Amino acid sequence: MLLEVRKLHVSYGDAPALWDATLDVAAGQVVAVVGPNGAGKSTLINAIAGLLRARKGEIRVDGKDIAKIPGHRVCEHGIAIVPEGRRLFTHMSVIENLELGSYRSGARESGEGSLERVFSLFPVLKERRHQIAGSMSGGQQQMVAIGRALMARPRLLLMDEPSLGLSPAVVDDMFRIIRTINERGVAVLLVEQNIHKALEMAHHAYVIEQGRIVSSGKPDALLRNPRIREAYLGV
Amino acid sequence: MALTFQRAPAAIAAAVAGLIALPYTGVADFYLSYLYVVFFWIALATSWGILSGYSGYWSFGHAAFFGAGVYTAATLAGKWGLPFLLTVPAAAAIAAALALGIGLVVFRIKSLRAEFFALLTLSVTYVLAAVVSNTPLDGGGGVYLSNVSIPQFGTTVPGAIYLLGLALALAALAVSRRILRSRVGAGLLALHDDEDVAEVKGVPTLHYKLAAFAVSSAIAGAAGAIQAGYLGYVTVGETFSITVPLYVVLMSILGGARHWSGPAIGATLITVALSLFVGGGHAELGRAGVALALVVVILVLPQGIAPSLLARWGRRKSAAPAAVQEPPKVVVMKPPAVHGATGQPLLVCRGVAKSFGGIRALQGVHLQVEEGEILALVGPNGSGKSTLINMISGHFPLSAGAIELAGARVDGLAPHEIARRGIARTYQIPRLFDHLTVLENVRLCAFFGGARETSGEGDAEALARRWLAFTGLEAKADSMPPALNLHERKFVEFARALAARPRLLLLDEVLCGLTPTEVDQAIAMIRKIRAGGTTIVFVEHLMRAVVALADRIAVLDQGALLALGPPRETMQDPRVVGAYLGTAHAA
Amino acid sequence: MSLTLLAQSAIGGVLLGGIYGLLALGLSLSWGLLRLVNLSHFALAFLGAYLTYQLGTQFGIAPWFSALVVVPAFFVAGLALHALFVRFEVDEFASMLVTFGITILIESMIQWFWSADYRKFESGYAQESLRIGPLFVPVLELAAFACAAFLAIAVWAGLNRTLLGKALRAAAHDGPIAAAFGIDATRLSYLLAGMCAALAGVAGVFIALTSTLAPSQIEAWIGVVFAVVIIGGLARPLGALAAGVLIGVSESITMAAVNPAWAPLVAFSILIVLLLWKPKWL
Repeated sequence: MLLEVRKLHVSYGDAPALWDATLDVAAGQVVAVVGPNGAGKSTLINAIAGLLRARKGEIRVDGKDIAKIPGHRVCEHGIAIVPEGRRLFTHMSVIENLELGSYRSGARESGEGSLERVFSLFPVLKERRHQIAGSMSGGQQQMVAIGRALMARPRLLLMDEPSLGLSPAVVDDMFRIIRTINERGVAVLLVEQNIHKALEMAHHAYVIEQGRIVSSGKPDALLRNPRIREAYLGV
Repeated sequence: MALTFQRAPAAIAAAVAGLIALPYTGVADFYLSYLYVVFFWIALATSWGILSGYSGYWSFGHAAFFGAGVYTAATLAGKWGLPFLLTVPAAAAIAAALALGIGLVVFRIKSLRAEFFALLTLSVTYVLAAVVSNTPLDGGGGVYLSNVSIPQFGTTVPGAIYLLGLALALAALAVSRRILRSRVGAGLLALHDDEDVAEVKGVPTLHYKLAAFAVSSAIAGAAGAIQAGYLGYVTVGETFSITVPLYVVLMSILGGARHWSGPAIGATLITVALSLFVGGGHAELGRAGVALALVVVILVLPQGIAPSLLARWGRRKSAAPAAVQEPPKVVVMKPPAVHGATGQPLLVCRGVAKSFGGIRALQGVHLQVEEGEILALVGPNGSGKSTLINMISGHFPLSAGAIELAGARVDGLAPHEIARRGIARTYQIPRLFDHLTVLENVRLCAFFGGARETSGEGDAEALARRWLAFTGLEAKADSMPPALNLHERKFVEFARALAARPRLLLLDEVLCGLTPTEVDQAIAMIRKIRAGGTTIVFVEHLMRAVVALADRIAVLDQGALLALGPPRETMQDPRVVGAYLGTAHAA
Repeated sequence: MSLTLLAQSAIGGVLLGGIYGLLALGLSLSWGLLRLVNLSHFALAFLGAYLTYQLGTQFGIAPWFSALVVVPAFFVAGLALHALFVRFEVDEFASMLVTFGITILIESMIQWFWSADYRKFESGYAQESLRIGPLFVPVLELAAFACAAFLAIAVWAGLNRTLLGKALRAAAHDGPIAAAFGIDATRLSYLLAGMCAALAGVAGVFIALTSTLAPSQIEAWIGVVFAVVIIGGLARPLGALAAGVLIGVSESITMAAVNPAWAPLVAFSILIVLLLWKPKWL
């Protein structure tokens, strides 16, 4: 098992955001975490990526607990994040953002190769590689964010609401690309509000509601569960 | 914080009387001069605290106003022969005018950072020094006041200076205390903690900052005039040196800058310590010591001495028998003064649009909120709900469209103006004023809110207590916000919003982070608020609560209004289902 | 006023601007990238100047060699100060107060050792100038300017062309995300803090060569250099140099055309005009 999260508790100050979260991601899998807004999906992803410190619980990568290590060491374990809202280094160019993605020493040697792979996946980035990231459209910025994460040569890619703010056509393209990435052997932990798209490509899914994981299982089974509908729509 | 001394007023009066009588008792001039120096620093430090301690805008330029006062006296009395006593109010006036000039330029700058204000005011000092030095005001050689006759009030010259210094120190303390206890002080302390929120709650931040700056500088100017008389000879180098800003900053930090007595305590301690440790000829050693003390205090004791002293006094107060706890009674509040016939739209949004750079957050939203209804604002992430709330409350200007409250345009008004018109809001993550008690937090909003039925301070306090009772928090009135849990802080946010007697209440994800029991209590509270006649618009994700609570639901998606109507109907609308779950589910 | 006088003033101003830019560089980097307002930068620079003076006057050590001692020593001092900030979790505003205190401490120390008398380091080059037509270009000031320009360009290149520099900028922009990609912001910040202090040392050597030293001078420079930092833009090395030159030239021309004593007003006036015209500058 590539990633094992056990009984994770995360709070913002004294406001608890996540209780007792437990989930697994096997190597090469796509796992989706769905749930209404404010349920704690981003909190979960940010805690795994080391952006938030968990109060209790374990995060094991290949058996090794990374919950307490310093933030800048997390990527050494093969985890890279595409954060909510992209969070690019907006004053820098596309290629500089990508280069920084491979900053960690394990990824720098293969920097050239990684860059070529990212450009083959996103040809438009190759064209615009000297453009300042902040001046690009939402969809293009999302590509840069994904590219930056891929430059870190991750075994597990964390994606937080990648469809946010994107038009439907761009969203389709993007999910196609995520599938391609997964086919190359990268596991993906995907947090999404767009249930339909997320469950379409997941091997396994979890449902979060009000800070707790309430269901887990195969996507089809979850889609047929009326509870999801109620959680999202209230009716 | 109100310090109520029981037996203290008599003791203080006696002490003051004793101090006034001192020069007439034949005490040696040396002691009178020594005490004058203490009074001088008390006046300067206290005056600094009026702006910088209360509002958090730390000025490094106090020497500029002090210097303005010095040279006003030097010019008027030393050069033009005006009576010395007249120069004191003149100096105060000129210093205040200088402060107003600077403040009008600087305080208008949006999101002025504190470091920047500090360094800017420091620069003003150097500029003023250059100006004074190069004009006939000083000309480089200093100015003599030795020919100036100082009225002696029946005692020696040092005695007279002593009396003037005493008068100024007492005046400074009295003014500072008065300001702290008034609504200006409440406003300044609030904007210290969170200027945006203070503005939104109705505090006219610009006016208050200017007023505090002017008063603070006036006292510094007066101190300068008296000091000029004391010294008899003034130079640019001595007047505009780094000593004044350094000392007042340290004195205030040491004593505690948020209280009216803090700077005075620090001033007394430091002046006495300096005189004990440092002989006459080692001024630089004294300065080094003060500088070292500043470094140590900032690192180790950032709040100063006064707060811990106050805490001890406070504990003594609560040792007195607690007031009999009345059983919590159902508090029914009168509805806001004006409410039109039901069915009239209270809030109208016409074609409201907002773009941030290239991103269209809202596109032409048309929305009407009926008086007395509860309207829920829902939608997927990024749909623009929070942006809309922020625009109604005045945080962001509109890119296009109009917002009207009861027929009058409110978009484009300053946030504190919007608050006065009757719009109040809470924040998703409670933004309370952490250095004020819960009661003071609510009282502030009662002072400044819209449709005010109360005007005096006593009334505002009573009103605040009633609202705390309404939200079930009366037991926490004297606690500080950091000591409360999230649920309690959210309820303080309710109380604050209500204390402003709003016609429209905006709630931003108020249920976020609460346990199911707390959610039920919050829902009950919201219903109670509406029963009192307030219209409510709330942004929420917890759909079960939304469906239960709302009269109507407005669904936003990608910045546009997707659907509007009764809860069940709207949430089953295929377009809404599609927006949330993806189109395959619409059927 | 003759054209020659104008040109001579302009040259003097440009060269003076070099020193302003050099002093502003360290402060600007620290404020922009570390969010620490290090006022002690000035005092440190003057300490460097006094040390250069002392080593040169008492031991006859040439300033270039003094620099080899002073600059690395200051690098270490910068690390030590930064350790203090990290240990006490000092925020932006508190850093200004603490360094304000440290500035006075250093100033007092300088006054204790070297007294308040004016001191001039006689380096032997003081009288030498290049001649360009009717104009004189003092050699020492020229060297100072050249060094300032070189350092500004070097820092700019470091920040914009090296991976380390980009990592530093990324960490300043969004620390947590930079960390998620392996950038250790704390270690980089120590490096930068040390470098800023080293820059102060370099500035100090040139101040010793080109100016008369007195403890009171420290405060005189704070106002001007602060203006240079703001006008040049935080963490913009080339901007700091350009702003320094702008203010230097304005001051020189004011001194020649109007009255030398009004020079301190110039920087401040430019700042106020800019604030009123373009408040977004901050």
